[in-house]
Order: sequence, then C-alpha cells, then structure tokens
Amino acid sequence: MTSNSSRIIGAVEIGTGKVAVLVGEISRGRSLNIIGVGVAPSRGVMKGEVVDYKAACEATHHALEMAEKRAGARIEEVWLAQTGGHLDGFYNEASVNVKSADNTVTALDIASVCELAKEKELPAGRSRIHEIRRPFRLDGRAVPDAEHLSGHRLEVGYWIVHGHEGKVSDNIHVVGGYHLEVRELVLSSLANGSLLTTAEERQHGVLVVNLGKGITDYVLYRDGHVLVTGTLPVGGDHLTNDLSIGLRVTTAQAEMLKLRHGRATIQTRDKSEKVWLNGDASFGDKQFSKTAIETIAAARTQELLGVIKQKLGSAFAPEHCGAGVILTGGTSKLPGIDEVTANVFGLNARRGESPSWVKDELKDPMFSTVLGIFQFGLRGAHEHAVPPRRKTGFLSNLTKIFASS
Amino acid sequence: MSSAESHSLSTSGRSWRDIRQEVTPLAMSRKGRSRRRLEWFKIGTLFTLLGAGGWGIYTLVHSWENDRAALATAVHSEPVRGIALITDGVLTKKWVAGVLDLPKTASLMSLDLEALRTRLLQNGQVWGAVVSRNFPDTLVVTLQERTPVARVQAGSGDGSSQQLMVARDGVVYDGVNYKQMVLPWLSGIRLVKAGHGFEPIAGMVDVANLLATAKHQTEWLYNTWLIVSLDRLEARDEIVVKARDIPEIIFTRKQDFSKQLAELDYVVDSVRVLPDPTLLSINLTLDGQVPIRMRNTPDELAKFPADNFSLQPSQQRKSKRDL
Repeated sequence: MTSNSSRIIGAVEIGTGKVAVLVGEISRGRSLNIIGVGVAPSRGVMKGEVVDYKAACEATHHALEMAEKRAGARIEEVWLAQTGGHLDGFYNEASVNVKSADNTVTALDIASVCELAKEKELPAGRSRIHEIRRPFRLDGRAVPDAEHLSGHRLEVGYWIVHGHEGKVSDNIHVVGGYHLEVRELVLSSLANGSLLTTAEERQHGVLVVNLGKGITDYVLYRDGHVLVTGTLPVGGDHLTNDLSIGLRVTTAQAEMLKLRHGRATIQTRDKSEKVWLNGDASFGDKQFSKTAIETIAAARTQELLGVIKQKLGSAFAPEHCGAGVILTGGTSKLPGIDEVTANVFGLNARRGESPSWVKDELKDPMFSTVLGIFQFGLRGAHEHAVPPRRKTGFLSNLTKIFASS
Repeated sequence: MSSAESHSLSTSGRSWRDIRQEVTPLAMSRKGRSRRRLEWFKIGTLFTLLGAGGWGIYTLVHSWENDRAALATAVHSEPVRGIALITDGVLTKKWVAGVLDLPKTASLMSLDLEALRTRLLQNGQVWGAVVSRNFPDTLVVTLQERTPVARVQAGSGDGSSQQLMVARDGVVYDGVNYKQMVLPWLSGIRLVKAGHGFEPIAGMVDVANLLATAKHQTEWLYNTWLIVSLDRLEARDEIVVKARDIPEIIFTRKQDFSKQLAELDYVVDSVRVLPDPTLLSINLTLDGQVPIRMRNTPDELAKFPADNFSLQPSQQRKSKRDL
C-alpha cells in the first residue's frame, strides 16, 4: 500500500529490440525509488512503430507483469517513451508588444506570446507530442523569465514535436490493453538527454544520439535548452541487414557476427584475417573476412552519423556544442563508434553514462530511455515549462490558506 | 511532469492527450482483462460497502428515534439474573429490587439505566446512584446514602402522624432500615409538600453542625437533647434546644458552636453543685456572658458580682468544682 503522497509509476519503452519497464515509486512528486524492472524481447514493433498489435501487446504486457511482480506493487499510471520515424518537429515563434503603460511585462503578455507561438496548424492526422519552449527574448535579449521586466517587445519560440496520430494511438493502446492509462508521453530522445547530460553540458551545448535497434533519435541542446530533436528510421538492424546482404548470411548469423566482430572503425589491417561464423567447428560453419565485416559496419555507421549531421543542418555548429556528442542505445556498444562520431561531428564523443544514483544493474544503455523518462518527468520538464499564471484574488487566497493549514 | 507544457496543447491541432485511451475488452490481453475486472470489483465493493454503511447508519438512527426497544432486543443479551449492590449506608438489595421493580424477563441490554437511576434518586435516602451493566446478566447499583441528623413528625391527611428523617442538607425522607436511633426531634419548622415528599428544610446545615459538634465534643449533653427548634433561626439566628433537664438552651449560629458547647458544659457543671440545680434557660448567644434562669436562685449566687463570674477558664480564680 502506498501513502497518498506517493504514486507507483511505470516507465515503459516499447522499442524495436526490447520492451523495458521500470516501476518507480515517486514520493511527494520529487523523490524516486525504483522498485521493479521488467524486460522482454520486443515483438510486433518495427522502427519503433507497432505493426502487430497482438504481438506487441504480449511482449509489453509480459514486461509489465514481470516488473509489477518484482516491484510487488500495482502500477497506477504509465509514462511512455515515444519514438518512431513518423515523428517530426518544427520551430515556430511569435512576438507581442508589451501592453502595460510602464512597459512592464505581465503574465498576460507571457500567456499571449506563448499561445501565439504554439498556434501553428498541424497537417491532418498529426498529434502534438511536445511543445518545448525556448528562452524568452525581451527587446532582443534572452531572459529565462520575462515577467516584471521592462521592455517593449516580447518574443518566444517553441520547438513543436508531432507524430502520426494513428501510430501514437497504437503505442498508447498497447498499454491500454493492460488496463493502464498513459499519463505522460515522453520523446525517447528527450528522456535520454535528460538522463545522460548535466545542466552544465546542456548549457555548453551537447548532442545526444540514441542508437537503437530500428530507430536512431537525437536531441541537440544549446544554452541549456532543447534546440532540435529528431528521429531516423535507421538503427542497429540496418548494420545487421547490410552484413547479411554483404556476407550472404542469414539475419541471425549477421547479428551474431556484428555482436562478435563488428566495429565502427576498420582496425584489422590484415585482409586475410578470417573469423568463424560459429567458432565451434560444427557442420556448416563458415569463415569470413574480418576486414569485410568491419568495413561494412564502419561504412553504415559513418553514413548513419552523417545523416544525423545533415538533418541537424544549420542548427549544429561545433563551436556551440562544447560538451560534444554523447552516444547511447544498444548500437552505441559497437567498438570504435565514439571515434567515428568524433570524426563525423568534429567534436569529442563518448558513450553516455548513467548518473551515480542509478544502480549498477540499471546502468546498461538499454535502460537509459526508461530511466530518462523518470528523470525528464521529475526534473527536465520544469526547465521548459511555461510558468503557470499566478492566481490572485480573495477566493484563491482563501484556498491557499486552507491548503496550507 | 510536462503537464504544464502538454496541458497547453490545445491551440492548433490535436494533442496526444485527445487520443482515446480506452480499448475494448477484446483488444485487451488476459492480464489486462483481469486487471479491469479487479478494478470493477474494487469499485463495486467500495460502493457496496458505502451503501451498506449508509443503510446501517440510517437504520440505526431510525430505530433510535422510533423504536428503542427493538434496537435493544436487536442486541442479544441475557435476562437480568441478579442485582449487585454497593452502598455506604443501610439500604439492602431487597429494597433496591423493590424500587427498581424490574420485569422478570427483562434483558440487560433492554434496561433504561437512566430511568432506573432516576427511580432510585426519587427516594430521599439516596444521595447519589450509579447503575451499570455487568455482562452477561448482572445489574450493578452503587448508592451513596444520606445520613439522618434529626427526626421530624409529619401529620398525614387522615390524622395519623409519621416519623421522618432529616439529613444534613435538609432533605426529609422516610428512613429505611435504620436501627434504633436516638435523634433529636425538630420543631419550629413547616414541612411543605413537594411531589411525593417535602421540600428541604432551610438552615439544616447549621443545625447539623451544632448536633455533630455536640455529639462529638459533649456527647453526655447531646444525649439529653430532645427537641431542636428552628423557630428563631431565620429571624434571630438562634437554635433553641430542649434537653431532658433544661427546657431551653439557646445557641446562635453566628458564633462557634464548640465555644458555646464548652460554656454550656461549664454552666451545667457549675450549677450541679447548687442545692436546687434546676435550670430553666441558658442563653449562649451573648459573647462572654451566659445568662441563665433557674427555678430557685440561691441567695449566695445572687450575691456574686457579675464580673467575678467569668466564663473564661483561665481567669477563674478557683476551679469550677470549688465554685
């Protein structure tokens, strides 16, 4: 049983490779205690999108059940990670003239400019996932909170992330099939960014790339704020696929070769160096050139990172990304990937490490998204949220008095 | 969480929050359906409990207001098999049983304890009463009784008279179970009917104080007292006692009774040595002087100047026996 001030929340990631569930007990809206973990191989999901509802439900519900059993508690609500190639984002900004006679910015001005900046119509069949506010600008100078400051012109911009309504619903309905409500939807890239970066790194500028099995998503921070997010429907599976085609082996064999001998850089100089497929001298075991494996994996990795850089476009500038590139996700375990990343982006690159409060058994990159969901929920959102309008007046004061007593 | 952001997702286009989350039971997994059933069961149980609780409260209130006997019988209890009496006086269990007059089949829970207590208190001899249930079948009665300090004769309508007891607080009552008691009679009072008894006699506290002091300090004198008159109490603060051998001893409640009794004792002793010690009246109301009236005042005594007859033992030149 939990007290009124604590909630049992399940952070769920329905990925292409696996479904991960963490059960956390959040007390007083701030303190998190992770009490259960559930992981199941994913089925019915391709490139982060549900393609077989029943199979996806089975895998997800199995992970949820396992996590609940380990936690010894029933999940009350779900915070769900959202990714997929259907996600897109755009930047929209608006400005208003400060209305008051003494040019002091009021809460009304802030609300007006925020509403205007978010007003842009979405194409039919699209749903808004996130609206991430960038700092206010008052007469051209950036200010974190413009209220009570003096100026003439107030501007603000929003990075609006949206996705295909049907695909988002599918994800939500998979959780609904377990009779649970999705209370929050968190972009996977934002979840990873929240977990793996510090406030200082976000201030200096940092790019976080989550290399999943079917999807790669990324988030670029600058001046402490989210500048751009994005997804690519390319991931570790594509490396496997390339190896499968290039080496003429099955996908399972290619996956095995990738995990054993794959590298993001070509390290083997001796072209005649061979590796066995199974290595157990069994019937049908074959030899492959190690250089060939590394060449294919490196080419694909480099291409993938190059596409990310290309998609970032003018938003990415090495001089504004002082904290470098942080890699996470299953494919980030590929040896040498940090080296390639550094070459592609011209920045330092490293694999993301979970913060010290994360237990050792959860430090694997496969948990970084679900951990990040909690992190984003408990901390990250407040950095971007529109300041709520303060209620004044007799009734609200009276309510406050009773609430505090 | 991002509620501050996401709640504001309303201006243009749908938010993911607008997506209907409920899925049909067919689209649920086995575990999901069982969770749903469990939730419905919980809600159903909660409503049932709330309903049952509400109905129970309604029934209880309704029974309390309309049919307490039914409420009492609803609570299963044994019939009363005995009364336990705890008292500081002389009343007996038999007397209590007679006063309470419980029905033979009455169960312990069906008794109205307050009514029983009131019934006991209607008797003046009972000063305080506590009635309680001692499960499974015993009614416990704890009594505090009044102690009589005097007697009074009351006439009834048919010309007969009855002896009543008067307690310290002036309450007049039939004395029950008192053994032979020699108490002085009260006179100079008017008994006023009130309900089944009489109104309390005013000023009895002073009379009781006098009697108690006399009994305690000069019992040999107290034993000779026959009648205490309250005739002059209201007007002159005087209590007049008629003793067996002194027709009138006048006390005042304005002064200390101990001192007055000491003076009385002294006077009685002093007079006893005289040839004809018949006293008619002793007035103890004057501070320092005790006028007495005798049937035959001897000449020797008449010769004594008043100032030589001091009532302060320390100023006596001779012992009182030598006077």
